[in-house]
Amino acid sequence: MSNGILKVDPDLKAIQKLQEIGGDTVKKCYQCATCATVCPLSPEEAPFPRKQMILAQWGFKERLLNDPAVWLCHQCGDCSKYCPREAQPGDVLGALRLMVIKEAVPLKFLHTFYNNSWGILVLPAIALLFILLATLATFQGLPNFFDANSFPYGGPTYDIWIFHLPARVLMIDVVFLPLAAFVVIMLASAINKVWNAYVDTYKIPQAYRYGMWTILKNYFIPAIVEILSHARFKKCNSNHWRANPHMLLVYAFIILAITTAIVFFMADVLGFHTPWNPLTHPVKWLGNFGGLLLLYSIIAIMVGRGKAEAEKSVKTSYADSFLINLILIIGLTGFGIEVVRSIPSLESIVSLVYLAHLVAVFILFLGVAYSKFAHLAFRTTAVMFDLYYKDINQKMAQ
Amino acid sequence: MGKPILVVGGGISGVTAAVEAAEVGAEVVLIEKQPTLGGRVAQLRYYFPKLCPPTCGLEINYRRIKSNPRIKVYTMAEVLEVNGAPGNYNVKIKIAPRYVNDNCTACGECEKVCEGERISDFDFGLSKTKAIYLPHPVAFPMKYVLDKDALAPGDLERIMAACKYNAIEPEMKEQILELEVGSIIWATGWKPYDATKLDNLGYGKYANVITNMQMERMASPWGPTQGKIVRPSDNQPPKKVAFVQCAGSRDENHLPFCSYICCLASLKHSLYLAEQDPEAESYIFYIDLRTPGRYEKFLKKAEAEAKINFIKGKVAKIEEDPETNDLIVTAEDTLSGKKISQKVDLVVLALGMQPSLASAEIKGIKIDQNGFVVEEEGMISCGCAKMPLDVMTSNETATGAALKAIQIIKRG
Repeated sequence: MSNGILKVDPDLKAIQKLQEIGGDTVKKCYQCATCATVCPLSPEEAPFPRKQMILAQWGFKERLLNDPAVWLCHQCGDCSKYCPREAQPGDVLGALRLMVIKEAVPLKFLHTFYNNSWGILVLPAIALLFILLATLATFQGLPNFFDANSFPYGGPTYDIWIFHLPARVLMIDVVFLPLAAFVVIMLASAINKVWNAYVDTYKIPQAYRYGMWTILKNYFIPAIVEILSHARFKKCNSNHWRANPHMLLVYAFIILAITTAIVFFMADVLGFHTPWNPLTHPVKWLGNFGGLLLLYSIIAIMVGRGKAEAEKSVKTSYADSFLINLILIIGLTGFGIEVVRSIPSLESIVSLVYLAHLVAVFILFLGVAYSKFAHLAFRTTAVMFDLYYKDINQKMAQ
Repeated sequence: MGKPILVVGGGISGVTAAVEAAEVGAEVVLIEKQPTLGGRVAQLRYYFPKLCPPTCGLEINYRRIKSNPRIKVYTMAEVLEVNGAPGNYNVKIKIAPRYVNDNCTACGECEKVCEGERISDFDFGLSKTKAIYLPHPVAFPMKYVLDKDALAPGDLERIMAACKYNAIEPEMKEQILELEVGSIIWATGWKPYDATKLDNLGYGKYANVITNMQMERMASPWGPTQGKIVRPSDNQPPKKVAFVQCAGSRDENHLPFCSYICCLASLKHSLYLAEQDPEAESYIFYIDLRTPGRYEKFLKKAEAEAKINFIKGKVAKIEEDPETNDLIVTAEDTLSGKKISQKVDLVVLALGMQPSLASAEIKGIKIDQNGFVVEEEGMISCGCAKMPLDVMTSNETATGAALKAIQIIKRG
């Protein structure tokens, strides 16, 4: 470096943006590297977050986008607690992750809805637009949203090929199946981009650049096992409380996803249509268990964050609280449907609660690619890359 | 020349301010909390800028005090409260009983018969003294002091019998003194920051993690090891020593300021090591190596004369090998971008300076949030009570403080 030329081209806009989305303390860092040493997850050969802090101070956006280390951080806050400058590296890395999501996933404008307070108005409007259009089409006109027998339990029934679908089921399918496909395509594009960037950044020799299937075959399952056990997350010291609620939340989502898949198969394919009796139906038991777990873990996360903020080891950014509240709303409205459905005097609002739940789920689905929720895909990718990198390093050393 | 000047603190700054003011004709009262003058300088092996032993600077000043009738010295004395205005202060002072009067000749007979012991705060816990002890060989006043709490049964009778000069006064009482003074110079100095608060650096937990001031005491010929630098765990001379810079300093969680001298102190300690064992290696872990002003030259000298490895990166983790009591210090070398785990025999924390008044409650004095004295007309601060400084600059501020204090009393 001493004899070479270092091209310094600070991106002032990127710095400003980072400061706006939770990295406001980035400039306080004086590069002592306490953070990289106290971090229980920081590797020997490529420690973080000290390096990421100086790259961020200079606005070297590209280099940060191409750095898996940003995702290997679980924001336990050890670095922030010991930081002698109150530069809060943990929060800065959180902001950097948001920036990566924004830059890597196509159709950036959708990202802005999730990271600005005015987006709270836009997102439900988008969700409602799609849901109402689908409702108009499938119910063949506007149903009465104050009568559960009109919406969702009214409307015609469709026989398409071998499927026998009531209007409400078809409505959900036409909204959420394309939405899911859209999200998967967007994320696949983003992941493809960052993976290639990681490979270039870490100068992986051509001989070790495996194809996608080899990578998936060798590293995807270990990465998933690691994520399910939260092995890395549990190494965090100062906010160790975060690992368990987060792990339970992951399990809750998995249980709910399985429930949804079963319902989809039983209702859409086999024609056993809902509503099912919550007391006697085993799939309902599973769903309710998942729902309770979701509510418990999200509330535990909220309580823990409150405490951590009081001791300044974690800061809750807009993107954090948006996702937390969204998950809370989904949990509450999900149970809300069950509750209001079972109380005859509240029957008139069943449709509205149902609609609210659908809107929230729509926002969450889209958010898998555009909100903080995208860490699901990005972190999994980074963990995979980390396993891959360690593995080929070992192979190269032999 | 008007009312007297009160100088609070008998370290190098206070002593300097007192003699400078008295030698131009002012009446001076110099008070010191400890049983002797000399302050932190007396605890050092060598002090900056010229690496003089403490006797060098202290003894000449003691002579100037002794030969000047205008200086009145009280040791074991503390300010309780200050009232009044510039030119006209009333100061309440508490003098703790020494239990030894002016008859004491420091012959040392009492110490020989005394059995009770106390931990030496002068040696930062590295040694013990008898319950009756001489603070150090260049004490001023050259008198013993008795710590009654540390006496063993029968000690008092033996001590009194051993003293040929009738100097032991077990009935001595605490005194409260009220002084009328024209101006006050605060030269209250500093104390090492509490190293146990740096919970990731293992001080107090691992035997071989010591502070820079403990290093000075070990290197001092009249220190706990008579000048030999050794590991506390096994008294073996260390081959590899890590210096942890900014231990507590430049840290919003501890001392938010730079303590000015610690980088130079660690360089100096590397020279102490080289003096004892030319093969001994130092590992100085730093954020920025700060050698203010002309001290850059000292860095060059240390680099040339001692085996020093400089690592840019702060130590944030220290582990101990329980078998050998060796230590493993971890930092990120920010120049290579890789983590370093270095095994060493001894770790020296370059502990920051905390102003002595940081937690003091003295009525009538203004202290900033870090404990430094806020200067006002008539209340002048100097030395490390004002800001972290080396000895030379402390003395310059002391001389300046003397002039300001004189201006107030001349005006009346």
